[in-house]
Amino acid sequence: MTKLIPYLLYFWLIAMHQVFLADVTSIFGAKINLSVLIVLLVSMYKTETTSVWVGLCVGIIGFAGITNISAWYALEMALIGLSAFHIKEKMNLDSLFARVALILGGTFIHNIIVLLIEINDGLLISIVRYALTGAIYTTIVGTIFFLIKDGIFTLKKTKSIF
Amino acid sequence: MNKISNLFTRHFRNIHFVSIILILAILFIAGKFVNPYLNQAVSAVFYSPFAKIKNNFLELKSVSEDNARLSQTLIDVSMKIAFYEEATLENDRLRSILGFDPPANYTLIPAKVISISGEFTPITATINKGTNDSIWIDQPVINQEGLIGRVSSVSPDFSIIQLLTDPSNRVAARVVSSREMGIIKYNTNTGMYLDNFPIQGDIAVNDLIISSGLGGVYPAGLTVGTVSEVIKEELEPFYKVKVTPASNFYSLEELFILRETAEE
Repeated sequence: MTKLIPYLLYFWLIAMHQVFLADVTSIFGAKINLSVLIVLLVSMYKTETTSVWVGLCVGIIGFAGITNISAWYALEMALIGLSAFHIKEKMNLDSLFARVALILGGTFIHNIIVLLIEINDGLLISIVRYALTGAIYTTIVGTIFFLIKDGIFTLKKTKSIF
Repeated sequence: MNKISNLFTRHFRNIHFVSIILILAILFIAGKFVNPYLNQAVSAVFYSPFAKIKNNFLELKSVSEDNARLSQTLIDVSMKIAFYEEATLENDRLRSILGFDPPANYTLIPAKVISISGEFTPITATINKGTNDSIWIDQPVINQEGLIGRVSSVSPDFSIIQLLTDPSNRVAARVVSSREMGIIKYNTNTGMYLDNFPIQGDIAVNDLIISSGLGGVYPAGLTVGTVSEVIKEELEPFYKVKVTPASNFYSLEELFILRETAEE
């Protein structure tokens, strides 16, 4: 049961992000896609079943307000978790570039799928305007996370700059 | 039991995937019935706490904005009240002036005080009327309370009034009750006093002092002040008579210049 606590915290983080952090951290309309970022990160470091379960739960929790299509989001997130897990199996996870590419690709594909579900007109513009910018922004956040996790970006090093 | 455990371990992955597919199938097939309850539960557990925090924060922000707006309104209203209070006071003053008659053969020229000069006590006042309004040097200046002084210099649009509180100013005065005369002077240290009043004269505290008309500048009968103290010193031929001026020279606002009717 205690193993579930970190995942519950992730879900609360997603909810908190959707309620107020998304608007606060938004830059020129580009938002961090925390839901998909968490699913991709779990896929990178956890097992296949965990990835799919987390994807499913994030799909249900993250899109709770959209009752008529929330099942599609749950399926999409579960598939992203599963795909990311299998892609990462064929990747060298020691490479920062590979991890960043996975985050960028995963987020961009997810954003495109969301746009395909939600938007009918001006899809191409929306892809550039929202999907690409959101994916880049999310990738930057993911990169900072990897840099901190790998010990490349530390408080001590930050202090030494100044 | 061992067999079941082995079966579960061997098919661990498949069991999980079947469970996930089942959940998805329920969501797709019975979504209309399940989703509202599911969303309610998810909202209550994950979203409500943050939504409440956000609402409280927005309310706080709204209250803060209201506070700033109301503070500004309060300042505006305070300024308006101050303006209205000032207008009310001016109205009262002007009402009291309405019933004020000039001495015989004189007309009143109303003027506003622009500035008052003097280091310790007011000595001169500048008014907004000058030669363009038929103001000339030595014309007496009064207000509704009594004598103020005389015009000491003029320009086309402004004039300077030498006030009774100028130590160099002199007014020939008389005590109303006894008709005896003296000279009103002003000393910066002791205030206004009636000089040259002989000890044989009849004077008491609260006696009214008016201008006597002698000297040619001030017409007779203008109120100067009231006697506040009469001191008799030995071997001195005159009383020391302290006088409380009729007018408050520190708060002059509207004045009247007395113009002789013959001057018109």
